[in-house]
Amino acid sequence: MNKIIVIGGGFSGLTIANKLAKKARKYKLDITLIEPKDHNFYEPDLIFYAFNNKKLSKLYKPMHKLVRKRVNHIGMRAKKVETEKKKVILEDGTELDYDYLVLATGVKYIEKDFKYSEQKHIHHFYSPPATEKFRQMIKRFKGGTIVISPSTVPYKCPPAPVEFTFMLDSYLKKRKLRDKATIKFLYPLSVPFTVKEAAVVVAEMYKKRGIEFVPYCNYEKVDIENKKFISFEGEEIEYDELVLLPIHEGQDIIKESGLGDKEGYVPTDKFTLQVKGHPNIYAIGDCTDLPTSKAGAVSHYSAPTIVKNIINQIKGKEASAKYNGKTICFLVTSYQKAMMLDFSYNHPSRKYGLIPMRIYMLFKRLFRFLYFHILIKGII
Amino acid sequence: MKKMSKEKISISIDARGSHCPGPMMELIKAIRQAEVGEIVELLSSEEGSLSDIPAWIEKAKHELVDMIKEDGYNRFLVRKTR
Ligand SMILES: Cc1cc2nc3c(=O)[nH]c(=O)nc-3n(C[C@H](O)[C@H](O)[C@H](O)COP(=O)(O)OP(=O)(O)OC[C@H]3O[C@@H](n4cnc5c(N)ncnc54)[C@H](O)[C@@H]3O)c2cc1C
Repeated sequence: MNKIIVIGGGFSGLTIANKLAKKARKYKLDITLIEPKDHNFYEPDLIFYAFNNKKLSKLYKPMHKLVRKRVNHIGMRAKKVETEKKKVILEDGTELDYDYLVLATGVKYIEKDFKYSEQKHIHHFYSPPATEKFRQMIKRFKGGTIVISPSTVPYKCPPAPVEFTFMLDSYLKKRKLRDKATIKFLYPLSVPFTVKEAAVVVAEMYKKRGIEFVPYCNYEKVDIENKKFISFEGEEIEYDELVLLPIHEGQDIIKESGLGDKEGYVPTDKFTLQVKGHPNIYAIGDCTDLPTSKAGAVSHYSAPTIVKNIINQIKGKEASAKYNGKTICFLVTSYQKAMMLDFSYNHPSRKYGLIPMRIYMLFKRLFRFLYFHILIKGII
Repeated sequence: MKKMSKEKISISIDARGSHCPGPMMELIKAIRQAEVGEIVELLSSEEGSLSDIPAWIEKAKHELVDMIKEDGYNRFLVRKTR
């Protein structure tokens, strides 16, 4: 049997494990998925749930409904990888051998200077409890300045804070509060997110919609008492409510196993998706240092490359399959419309997708169904 | 003849091959680590760096000591001033 261990059962780990399961019989694969959580959570809809009253529980699915039969799911954390011995050590001390390992551990959020749950006026929308706290605030909001900023780059889904800002603008208009509110969007670069062609269009839309954009603004700290965002560049920006994305880092296991860079992201070959210096270890999704977005779409398009390369290696061949950086994602611009970003290592975002349209919004809305019923199960 | 800067470099970052926003973020990280007065060198092959890096330095009130065009990349020397 060829022993394959996948560490992390978020979208990336589940997709890989389930895709491998389809090949299990033919190639004699023994697949183990290590994931302590008993559910999976659909993050892209958080930008809608921040502004509605629906139950966040709708975004969860239990693991047992998502894992294919031929995948052995262990509901525990992995503590360490011993690459020399080809072993994974679990939190209870159990040691598991592998022939091939896939790292899919995602990122962790760090609360350094303050706890979001203890701050009345500092929010984010990157987890269900934080989204719940934000929506309690926004329901009571009567006017003032709302400042939105990431705290580190990279962070998950580069357009998400932009989408959130457009949703906030639309929501306040609907409640007839827009003229009582100032929206400021701060960003480390010259444009409001990392996909330049689309970011230029977004900057124009910000202007039209009266959203103030502050470029080259890197988070340094918050003066909580005086409600000021302080940038590394020395600017002080006052807020009534601050939406500050949490600090992102790689998971401890990556650093502790000597498999990460300074931020704990896994140095990964951008084409073969092998971990640099470890031909029998692969990395997928948010845990990697790939020069593209930390997005589920990247995992979806890159998963077949990992499956092909593992099979190639089992057959005694080179890991010759290559991921071309393909990504497609939707960027919501209002309640009705979205853009479609379609890019790869070889080409910038296609122009046709940069005009906001209703059809793209329809795709975005349908996506949760596709995510839970087709993509995560490795069907396509 | 390439112009050579005689400034003493304290931190050097090779961000060649790295895409936007890689070089900019690497530079900001290095400036955070550097002491006031020290020089950070950044090598970047990313086209946007040519406009983005000087614009960021100006806003952050550091000093662009030199910007040198090399074969296939640019070399920026930045002094941390505050
Ligand atoms: C608000 C928001 C909006 C988004 N919108 C979009 C979008 O529109 N389109 C898009 O493509 N993407 C979007 N994303 C990004 C997308 O959700 C993530 O990129 C994706 O979920 C990453 O999946 P992952 O499996 O790599 O990481 P994760 O989902 O973080 O999964 C990692 C898993 O590893 C497990 N793990 C960690 N350490 C260990 C360990 N030591 N042992 C065992 N298990 C471990 C964790 O428990 C976790 O379940 C959005 C994200 C957010 C927050």
